[in-house]
Amino acid sequence: MKITIQREQLASALQRLQGISGSRSTLPILSNVLIETDKDKIWLTATDLELSLRCAVPAEVVKSGSTTLPAKPLFNIVRELSEPQLELESDEQHSTSITSGAAFFKILGLPPEDFPALPEVQSDVSLTLDQAVFRGMLEKTSYAASTDETRQFLNGVLLSFKDDKLTAVATDGRRLALFEQEIEIAKGAEGELIVPSKTVSELLHGLKEEGTLRIRQAKTQIAFECGDLLVLSKLIEGPYPNFRQVIPAQAENRIALDREVLLAAVRRVSLLTSTRTNSIRMTFAKNKLTVSAESPDIGEARETLPIKYSGPTLNVGFNPDYVMDPMKHLPTDEVFLEITDEISPAVFKCDLPFLYVLMPMRLD
Amino acid sequence: MRTILHVDMDAFFAAIEQRDHPEWRGKPVIVGAPPDRRGVVSTASYEARAFGIHSAMPSRTAGRLCPHALFVRPRMAVYQRESERLMALLDGYTPDVEAVSVDEAFLDVTGVLHFWPDAKTLARSLHERIPQELGLTASIGVAPNKFLAKVASDLCKPNGLLVVPSDPAAIRAFLAPLPVSRLFGVGKITRAHLEKAGLHTIGDVQAVSESALASCVGEAAARSMRALAFGQDERPVAREWEDKSLSRETTFDTDCADRTLLRETLIALVESVGRRLRSHGRFARTAFLKIRFPDFRTITRQRPIPEPTDSDRLLIQTALRLFEKAAGTEPIRLIGFGVQNLTDTQVPTPFQPDLFSPKPAPTQRRKDQRLDRVVDTVRRQFGNDALRRGVWHGSAEINEPEPDSGTNA
Repeated sequence: MKITIQREQLASALQRLQGISGSRSTLPILSNVLIETDKDKIWLTATDLELSLRCAVPAEVVKSGSTTLPAKPLFNIVRELSEPQLELESDEQHSTSITSGAAFFKILGLPPEDFPALPEVQSDVSLTLDQAVFRGMLEKTSYAASTDETRQFLNGVLLSFKDDKLTAVATDGRRLALFEQEIEIAKGAEGELIVPSKTVSELLHGLKEEGTLRIRQAKTQIAFECGDLLVLSKLIEGPYPNFRQVIPAQAENRIALDREVLLAAVRRVSLLTSTRTNSIRMTFAKNKLTVSAESPDIGEARETLPIKYSGPTLNVGFNPDYVMDPMKHLPTDEVFLEITDEISPAVFKCDLPFLYVLMPMRLD
Repeated sequence: MRTILHVDMDAFFAAIEQRDHPEWRGKPVIVGAPPDRRGVVSTASYEARAFGIHSAMPSRTAGRLCPHALFVRPRMAVYQRESERLMALLDGYTPDVEAVSVDEAFLDVTGVLHFWPDAKTLARSLHERIPQELGLTASIGVAPNKFLAKVASDLCKPNGLLVVPSDPAAIRAFLAPLPVSRLFGVGKITRAHLEKAGLHTIGDVQAVSESALASCVGEAAARSMRALAFGQDERPVAREWEDKSLSRETTFDTDCADRTLLRETLIALVESVGRRLRSHGRFARTAFLKIRFPDFRTITRQRPIPEPTDSDRLLIQTALRLFEKAAGTEPIRLIGFGVQNLTDTQVPTPFQPDLFSPKPAPTQRRKDQRLDRVVDTVRRQFGNDALRRGVWHGSAEINEPEPDSGTNA
């Protein structure tokens, strides 16, 4: 194999693969990236057996072939090179020379036959949608997923394909984020699946603002294809909890809030929460919202926001991070908080097909 | 100036056996493994100690040293009960009791001294009441701190009472002739280092500068060692229910690679911790596992418990998860389990309820509490071995309570 390639393009592709290769040290070959030549490009593949990433980089192929190289040293070298171009040439023993300007490296690889074959995602039905749309759905929901390994079925984003709607849901049991998008769904493609958080984060990095995305799904695997990127992932076994039943049907009060003002106020006040208690108090009184916190060791904080509200005075406790998370990920100027009392779930909504259910904390 | 008592029962297990079996009195009694089996001496009566027998000695050796000794299987449940009676008696003198083990405790009597003419009278009252109430003898050291009190009780064994004077010069003179191994923290290795430098007695340590001592045992150790050599020890007597953590650990006689035995041992340790939590009315939010490998590499792993708990079921589930993740397949020398982040209430405030089960699994919690209470009662009456938990050979996923809500397919 012999190729000439742009340094920057190769470096950015390798960077994307770093999070996957070598994350499991059991098999040495998994620390390597597979490099295969195509017509006018090369394909780079990394896998940890649960998640595989394959991306193409334009290249001038002098001699076709394939090899594998340790991902980390390769990335470190390519990143440090100063010339815009470099040349890769590998011999039969799978050692590869890298030449760029006056710099020369030789690194030892492993035979490409040892690299695990990517799982086949055999599926007749596939679904096509806008990359930007799908990325937006993941951005607005995935932060709510659980990281508690004892609740593995919550360690990802649920995708529900049903009634010509794609719904993305994430929850850690205390708050739940949901985004719904109308798309055409073929008859056989209806269903639900849970995509692991790690896969979601790779998608968030890889999906672009333009172009389409094709999703194919088999029993335990899912494939996301867009242009020069393929993300293949194992699915999390469910069942996912019945999220519809925790969404309150209607609330007594609906309060409009300026998203950025609320975010800034909560961020400031939360400076005075202690890590142990991590709670803020939101007091809704006539046309006034007071956000406050106190820490026995440091002191207290309070900030008042004007609102339109005429209901009874409510004193609700929240985890400040859970209030800030959706504010950070929404684009709208205004959000609406629907709230009934101190103990029932509250709901944040906005002018998008989005909602965020949040369980208040018991303060006393 | 504090007044601390160290109460140490004399040959506790052996003395209980001799009390309960009058025909064994005056004879060498050894509680522990029989001499023809693998295992060690747990406690030897003073008659047996005359033959050079001591705790932790292999029973085979003990049998050789004293062939006519009576070897007795331990009755842990009985000893535990006697221990509880002892601690209850001590509690009557001061609430500041720190039980170091089943047969040993520190008492801080500083706050109750004004009820007594002096510390010695208080100590003598205790020294007389222990034999009256338990039919067993104890040795008691009285001193301004824990270290000196312990040294004193060791020196006056058995059935002794020793008051260490409280002025610095007298304390210095009291310690000077004692071997360096009396210093808390000085084991075989440190002792060898010290003796190589010509430091044999505590008096020798008193005579050298801190920097000279540091060149021998290191800087950190030197400072605390010198303080101890002058009889200074600030460690407080910790009432157990004020502890920030509770733990139990055990060292295997031979390194253990048997996963089933390791799990069984771990479960027994967890249950012991659970019982102490319940008897103190405390709830734990974090669990930790400690493992020491044969090469003395020691790891601890911790994880939060889903809700503050005193339930054996939740604690065991957490412990086994930690074990599955940390243990690997290597042999293990020591295994320990503990809890920290203790609270007085099961539902802390502020409390974050769950969307899917707003009330934290109340039914399961009630069931756990009922079961634990029954098990505790049975074990208190009939001993720890009266009831034993089955061992999970499979995964750590045991009886995960279903969320109250349904699930969609």
